[in-house]
Amino acid sequence: MSKHVINVTVNGEAHAVEVPAKRLLADFLRDDLLLTGTKRGCETGTCGACSVLIDGEVVKSCLNLAVQADGRSVTTVEGLGQGTNLHPLQTSFMEQGGLQCGYCTPGFLMAAHDLLSRNPSPSEEEIREGLSGNLCRCTGYQGIVDSVKNAAEKMHGR
Amino acid sequence: MNSPIVGKAVPQVTALEKIQGRAIYTGDLKQPGMLHAKVLRGPYPHARIVRIDTSQAVALPGVKAVVTGADTPTRLWGVAHKQQRILATGKVRFAGEEVAAVAAISEDIARDALDLIEIEYEELPALLDPARALEAEAPQVHDGHDNRVKEIRIARGDVEAGFAAADLVHEATYELHSQYPGYMEPMATLASVDGNGRLTVWTSTQSVFLARARLAEALDRPVSSIRVIQAMVGGGFGGKIVEERSSLIAAFLATRVNRPVRLVNNRLEDFQSGCFSVPCRLWLKMGMTKDGTITAKDVRILANSGAYAGLAPEVMLVTAMRSDNMHRLENVRSAADLVYTNTMPRGAFRGFGGTQMAFALNSHLSVMADKLGLDPFEVHRRNAIRAGETSVHGWQFGSTGLRECLDQVQAGIGWEAKRRRPKDTGVRQRGLGMAAAMHVSGNRTLGNWDGSTVVLRVNEDGRAFIASGESDMGQGANTMMAQICADELGIPLSHVTVLPPDTDTSPFALGSLASRVTINGGKAVLQAAQQAKTQILDAASGLLGCPADDLEIDQGVVRSRTKSNATAALPQVCRYHVFRHGGEGILVRATYDPPTKMMDADHYGNIAPGYSFAAQAVEVEVDTETGQVTLLNSCLADDCGKAINPMAVHGQTNGAAVQAIGWALYEHLQFEDGRLANGNFADYTMPTADSVPHLQASIVESNEPNGPLGAKGASETAILPGAPAIANAIEDAIGVRITELPITPEKILAGLRAKREGGHA
Amino acid sequence: MRDFDFLKPATLAEAIAMRSSLGEEACLFAGGTALLLGMRQRLVNPKTVIALGGLADLRAIAFDSQHGLRVGALARHTDLARSPELRTHTPMLAHMAARMANPQVRNQGTLGGNLCYADPATDPPTALMALRASVVLAGPDGERTLAIEDFLVDYYATALGASEILKEIRVPPPAPGSRGIYVRHLRTAAEHRPVANLALVVERKGAVCTRARLVVGAATAVPCIAAKAGEYLTGKTVTLEVAAEAGRRLAQEITPISDLRGDGAFRRAIVGVIAKRAVAEAFGLDWKGAQA
Ligand SMILES: Cc1cc2nc3c(=O)[nH]c(=O)nc-3n(C[C@H](O)[C@H](O)[C@H](O)COP(=O)(O)OP(=O)(O)OC[C@H]3O[C@@H](n4cnc5c(N)ncnc54)[C@H](O)[C@@H]3O)c2cc1C
Repeated sequence: MSKHVINVTVNGEAHAVEVPAKRLLADFLRDDLLLTGTKRGCETGTCGACSVLIDGEVVKSCLNLAVQADGRSVTTVEGLGQGTNLHPLQTSFMEQGGLQCGYCTPGFLMAAHDLLSRNPSPSEEEIREGLSGNLCRCTGYQGIVDSVKNAAEKMHGR
Repeated sequence: MNSPIVGKAVPQVTALEKIQGRAIYTGDLKQPGMLHAKVLRGPYPHARIVRIDTSQAVALPGVKAVVTGADTPTRLWGVAHKQQRILATGKVRFAGEEVAAVAAISEDIARDALDLIEIEYEELPALLDPARALEAEAPQVHDGHDNRVKEIRIARGDVEAGFAAADLVHEATYELHSQYPGYMEPMATLASVDGNGRLTVWTSTQSVFLARARLAEALDRPVSSIRVIQAMVGGGFGGKIVEERSSLIAAFLATRVNRPVRLVNNRLEDFQSGCFSVPCRLWLKMGMTKDGTITAKDVRILANSGAYAGLAPEVMLVTAMRSDNMHRLENVRSAADLVYTNTMPRGAFRGFGGTQMAFALNSHLSVMADKLGLDPFEVHRRNAIRAGETSVHGWQFGSTGLRECLDQVQAGIGWEAKRRRPKDTGVRQRGLGMAAAMHVSGNRTLGNWDGSTVVLRVNEDGRAFIASGESDMGQGANTMMAQICADELGIPLSHVTVLPPDTDTSPFALGSLASRVTINGGKAVLQAAQQAKTQILDAASGLLGCPADDLEIDQGVVRSRTKSNATAALPQVCRYHVFRHGGEGILVRATYDPPTKMMDADHYGNIAPGYSFAAQAVEVEVDTETGQVTLLNSCLADDCGKAINPMAVHGQTNGAAVQAIGWALYEHLQFEDGRLANGNFADYTMPTADSVPHLQASIVESNEPNGPLGAKGASETAILPGAPAIANAIEDAIGVRITELPITPEKILAGLRAKREGGHA
Repeated sequence: MRDFDFLKPATLAEAIAMRSSLGEEACLFAGGTALLLGMRQRLVNPKTVIALGGLADLRAIAFDSQHGLRVGALARHTDLARSPELRTHTPMLAHMAARMANPQVRNQGTLGGNLCYADPATDPPTALMALRASVVLAGPDGERTLAIEDFLVDYYATALGASEILKEIRVPPPAPGSRGIYVRHLRTAAEHRPVANLALVVERKGAVCTRARLVVGAATAVPCIAAKAGEYLTGKTVTLEVAAEAGRRLAQEITPISDLRGDGAFRRAIVGVIAKRAVAEAFGLDWKGAQA
């Protein structure tokens, strides 16, 4: 049915793409832009594996239509850092046991990014609450919490 | 050995691609012409399929194939019991059983087509309650068979005499519920048939070779006509070993359309087709002398296999006898029955039946210790089996870290001081609990081989490739193998590549199950690397004119121990290994098959090369008005023999602790008329970051003689003690003993009410 | 998800006109967090979606001491949580918004969408009812204002007319010295939705309660005012025993729902407890030390 040309900036790159109205943002990113770092893990908005930033704020891309991102700026895990130019969160997740199977990792990175942008030195409790919209089955969350703490310290040059 | 890498908390070798979002899982794969599959499931727990009409679905534009049970090969597949076809035929035996499947040019069209398939069912009386399964008039899940899947009877020593010798005999019945593995990556498969008719399957699996065997059986075609490649796996926890069904459907569709077909479960579908742990009712009776010595143990189990057998019989065997081996027991008896019901199939899950018994056993020991005025830590210590001993079921222990685990968690939680503090009297009351458990590292059970083969190549640039069929599903197996190899070859970790398991190119392997990969796969890597090193040093000896035993490899350079100027960089040596008469690239193979035995008919025999132990202590706070249980502290020690990578072991320990918390307190499959009513993450609530405490994980290194560098399995053991430790802490807090999982607020409140009323009576 | 047309009106008037002309087949769409769940499972299948995202005016949050608080229907939970107006004048609401759901949903879900969906397992309706909030509904014939109790009709049902749009939520200025407490109770810490919640607004003279409004939600199909408990408290010197009695009365006067998250008896027990605690807290009493 209705199709729309959306103008959306993804990871700094401007796109004008025609999408059907029903295309979820998650599918748009994965299937149209081939940014498969954003994962899908549930249909209830609970797992957070599909988390991305829209205009700097974390949302679940499976609870968004691509048309809702028209005129906005989306950041996915691919836009956080690549190659030798990694975000401190990414290196911390590697070094502090913030990941195992890795499926939830992109979502956690985006949620943690949102958290640290609002609260640069969160307590452990604040980290846990800030990540409460994401599920991980491997790590027991401790490695993830430690990683976020570690990244916050790095970002403060401590 | 100089170990710059083994024993270090290095990042997983898969970490870099994962944090960039560039790790490729099966659902991320695409191929030209690829179709999308969707599966139609029966809505009834038990019904006869009277008629299926797919004509409208077939006619939908974009639909390329619609298949039903009648189209599938008639050969039955299964683990030991061959009883399933790829899609149901004749009748459905559980709500959610796969009945038809569609391949179409988009997922939406495939989904639309499902609505157009007409199926007429005749509902049959359903057997939902396992307790009724063996009654004469119970509905038969499999026509012409009674509902008993398996019966296990084990008796050793003289149980009655043991009870007679006891100062305290305690019996209780426990209800252990089923848990969903909850891996974050729902099951996904991409299957494709090439122009020669060979089938290639990329799938999320814990074992490519067991997947290939299952595909060969279900599709009724030769093993060698199938290639299974493991994509990155987003968690398994037992559910992706051999009972998983959706890969068969994807592969079957691919053979029908000659186009690649991708089948990615959504979460609801994964709940409906996933593999769940085996629920059971467990009656336990134990005798103990005043000093805490266990004199006898008697167990009766009724376990629910669901509609098919899968690995559930093996799981129940573990429940029936494994925990006996961690103590010096003499008189034990188990009577266990596994029955079919019209519910989803149950089977392998992290801990493999151990969690069920660990809950009962540790609950029991805590109650008995209390009654005898003993400390439960002391009871475990007193009975703990020691290295060098053989257990009642014939298990031989080269290493046992149980007592060290107990010491660590007892100190870590502050047991002594906290136990002495006055009991809380307010609305919220704190309590302490502990539990301990054991698990196998390896298991000679899938046939008379528990081996692991590694093919190791050292390339012209001095860097290594490891080909192994063992699988990394997130637990870090590849990192473990790379670390052992790098250390042995004296090269940096980044110079080792672990190739993805691929049945066409990897050596035959059993895969990630029974905590066998570190002890067996790691040992094979070590042996292969030792061989490669010998070849390298021999070649370098020719090159440098020094005896091989004077040479060593350090940081990628071969050097003489005695002549300071005799050095050759590895690339130079490796090229020399090729470019000489009779030369070749360095390619070695090693197989390690541990010195273990299959159990005999009486379930006796040393099945594993090593046995792992764990202990956990927790502190809880119970809200006596709302029934909420808050975990304040958790201290979990895992005896992994030797931590090849402490960060990975901690990760496994913490992940296991939280999965156990979920099983004990938060996760609860709910059914309505035999249908799963909460098959989604909004209603089946797994632990979140803010629902668990800061976790303490510690490591015991008991140095397993059979293991590579002393290592044995970690992780599965760690899931075992959590739930009973919590139940024990709750009793300590509020004097209410919960014997039925999950521990819901309602049960806490009911327990408190009963206690109050009991007090007044 | 099924196909649909997507319309993006630029003004409220345009949105109302679209809704009037398209009728039942169209569906308003704010953040989409509630709707997309239903659409993806094909439980909700609109032919047309009217997206309100472009109506920037409906995002505003403002306070004046005469009319109180005015929150645009499209204000997101995050906006409420961070709003200086809310934090100053109705901290209970800001506090509620900061803790409901999870960060991602708060960044996208709107207050209007929450109210119009009328899912019982949510937080804002309870808090708003305790604050005597009203809603402004805009339709082709103008606007009307309804008390929130009249707006929330039943389980997933509101008084929103077929061509109306929720424009604004109003909260009268708080009575001087009044205090609000909101308790969101999760059955277990891992749950995502409240099994019961309670909002309390009290006015007091020393230890004496001069006015109390208690509202229970999530445990009931729609939030309900516990009038008897409120009456009981009024004029009383509040002690722990009085707080407990208020909780007992409140538990008796509601009609709890039963679902997978908890049966009626459980919910009744819980609301009694959280009411007691809220009352105690409002009067600075420590309920934690009391004998169980
Ligand atoms: C994972 C998850 C967890 C959640 N947890 C909680 C929780 O703990 N507590 C809680 O309170 N809530 C919770 N929610 C619900 C959340 O509050 C709502 O989903 C959200 O507020 C809905 O707002 P929306 O803008 O996304 O609505 P939409 O999905 O856009 O719309 C919802 C409904 O409202 C209608 N509608 C929207 N705006 C208007 C308007 N202005 N006028 C008329 N009709 C309108 C739509 O037509 C639709 O029927 C949760 C949701 C999710 C997905």
